[in-house]
Amino acid sequence: MTTRQSSTLVISNGFTCCSQCLAEISPAGKPWKRSTSVSITKIVQIPGSTSSTHPDVELRHFACPNCLALLDSETALPDDPFLDDVLNPRREN
Amino acid sequence: MDPITFSIIRHRLYRVVEEAVITLKHVSGSAITNEGHDLMVSLYEADGTLLLGGVGFLHHLTSAAEACKSIIRRFEGDVHEGDLFLLNDPFTAALHTSDIYLVSPIHFNGELIAWSACFVHVYDIGAMNPGGFAPEAQDVFSEGFSSPGLKLIDRGNLRQDIWDTLLNMVRGPEMVALDLRSMIACNNVAKDRMIALIEKYGLPTFQETCKLLVEQSEARLRERLRELPDGSWQSRQYFDVKGEVYKVLLTMTKVDDELTFDFTGSSPQSKYSVNCTKWASLGGLFAPLFPLLCYDITWNEGVIRPIKVIAPEGSIVNCTKPSPVSVATVGAIQSVNNAACTTIGKMLASHEQYNDQTSAVWHANHFAVFMFGKNQKGGEAIGILTETFAGAGGARTFADGVDIGGEIPNPISRMANVETVEAMFPVRYLFRRRLMDSGGGGQYRGGTGGEIALVPHDAPDGGLHYVLSGKGSKFPQSEGLSGGNPGALNDYVWVHTDESTKSNDCFAQTLDSIPGDKESISWGVFPLMGKDALYVRWNGGGGIGDALDRDPQSVLTDVIENLISPAAAREIYGVEISDGVIDDVKTGERRSSTKHKRVSSNGEKR
Repeated sequence: MTTRQSSTLVISNGFTCCSQCLAEISPAGKPWKRSTSVSITKIVQIPGSTSSTHPDVELRHFACPNCLALLDSETALPDDPFLDDVLNPRREN
Repeated sequence: MDPITFSIIRHRLYRVVEEAVITLKHVSGSAITNEGHDLMVSLYEADGTLLLGGVGFLHHLTSAAEACKSIIRRFEGDVHEGDLFLLNDPFTAALHTSDIYLVSPIHFNGELIAWSACFVHVYDIGAMNPGGFAPEAQDVFSEGFSSPGLKLIDRGNLRQDIWDTLLNMVRGPEMVALDLRSMIACNNVAKDRMIALIEKYGLPTFQETCKLLVEQSEARLRERLRELPDGSWQSRQYFDVKGEVYKVLLTMTKVDDELTFDFTGSSPQSKYSVNCTKWASLGGLFAPLFPLLCYDITWNEGVIRPIKVIAPEGSIVNCTKPSPVSVATVGAIQSVNNAACTTIGKMLASHEQYNDQTSAVWHANHFAVFMFGKNQKGGEAIGILTETFAGAGGARTFADGVDIGGEIPNPISRMANVETVEAMFPVRYLFRRRLMDSGGGGQYRGGTGGEIALVPHDAPDGGLHYVLSGKGSKFPQSEGLSGGNPGALNDYVWVHTDESTKSNDCFAQTLDSIPGDKESISWGVFPLMGKDALYVRWNGGGGIGDALDRDPQSVLTDVIENLISPAAAREIYGVEISDGVIDDVKTGERRSSTKHKRVSSNGEKR
């Protein structure tokens, strides 16, 4: 049985999984981004930025390590940790 | 209670607020009010309980409730029929000094039965910079007059000494007087209509309806929260002032039928006026909560009860007196607002039924440009560029964001016509249009922001000056969702030349073609004199979903309409366009290769 965690993730058998390929990413109820494929692009390199754009601010893309489906994104300065979004696993019941 | 009578009274209360808003707009002479709709009207019960929040800037609904309660405490035993009170102290309840609350008790047969409250951003407040946003202020004492509560009208009689004193402390006193009179008229209309309503249905029925309305809202929000999964979601906003970087960090936790917004980890309070008080933070998070989570629930105290807020004292979201806060509404409050929009959006996306209510962050970075100087008629003029209210819609889970689509915290925000601005100020627009590549990329694109350029025109003094503030131009703030990109950034460019420069190109249609040296600015007071030009671009909304999943035909349409560049089509969306036609083979190859770079560009795990 699977339940929805987000637009891109489901909870299945006690794990947070990619909703596209159902690959297990991390135990449900725990931060999951550390177990994804992370690609980082400086915002200044993205069309639409300007010469005023902070040189260090980055766009982090989190992808399924199995099928590479995009799971989430966030902007951050390099030293800041990943944002954690966690569902209480009891919802699976 | 008879449900039909209940519904009729509820709808009549909405109409009371609506008519009061119309009054406010029609009497005020300020573009920020009657063009930008920087206003709010709402109704409160006798004890200050929020009964019905109206439209306008929603982050005022809870602050005005606190203003009512503060007035009740301060004037205990001295509240009479026909009184009217003023409050604008940010450390008591207001968001910043410029947003004055006028609060009127409503009596029926001699009994205090309700309050009406409204605000406008007054023409001037006597701060060290014209218009109220004071980037040069060192503390709240240099941000204009500030009252924790005074009686402006006593039993129907205007207190002339107070009135004269207030107007003696501001620039453009005749315009500030008009603002105050618009609010007095607004409250009078609300009061008259409320009394007419009670006369028709009787006080007991009215009071029972009020009680039920609040109970119903609380019950319905709690029911909605119970439907949604328990969990916690995070969001982060950055902004900068003069090179100093600030952060608002939010962890929103939902347990059963309660929501807690915790801002622990946010930056310490700033020496600049971007801070906000705890009342302002509360208002900031409710601004998106009302429309996103309570779109079908009456906005009142019942919605507030399931919500808890943790805002560390001394932080940028709960600063201590005398920290300056005049830029709060386009500073930390808006960051709170954006962060709450993201966490609520993530929570909604976690439930199939509510997924289509999710929205990426809309217009996240207001710019406050207050022009001041002598206008073409020889009078003194102060006024905001209302394009800051034009905004940009965040993407939805089923559609693109609306271009120049307004903003979440004010459902009725809008901008003035170019001609209106040119009639009030000695300026000429070179252009105003949607901004290419400003909407955040995604399966569904964020709505575009816009760009404008102004030059002096027919100015007796050769031009104007302007006060510029906000959250800078270094960080994207309209966050995307579910893999979507953030909307592009604001930018402000002062184009200046010496007077000897000969230029015939006074109809330039791009920033690059405006002659002169281009200097990025974001904070302070600057000239728009002689051959100067001011260029402003504002952010688009955040995108939703994987940009590689966007329909290539939609990408092509965006390119044709100049909403995205061919470079963005290729680099963000992986769509190859040649001679106005999509190259399906190259598009497939590019999308495949971009997807595979997700593992190769930085595959290590953190």
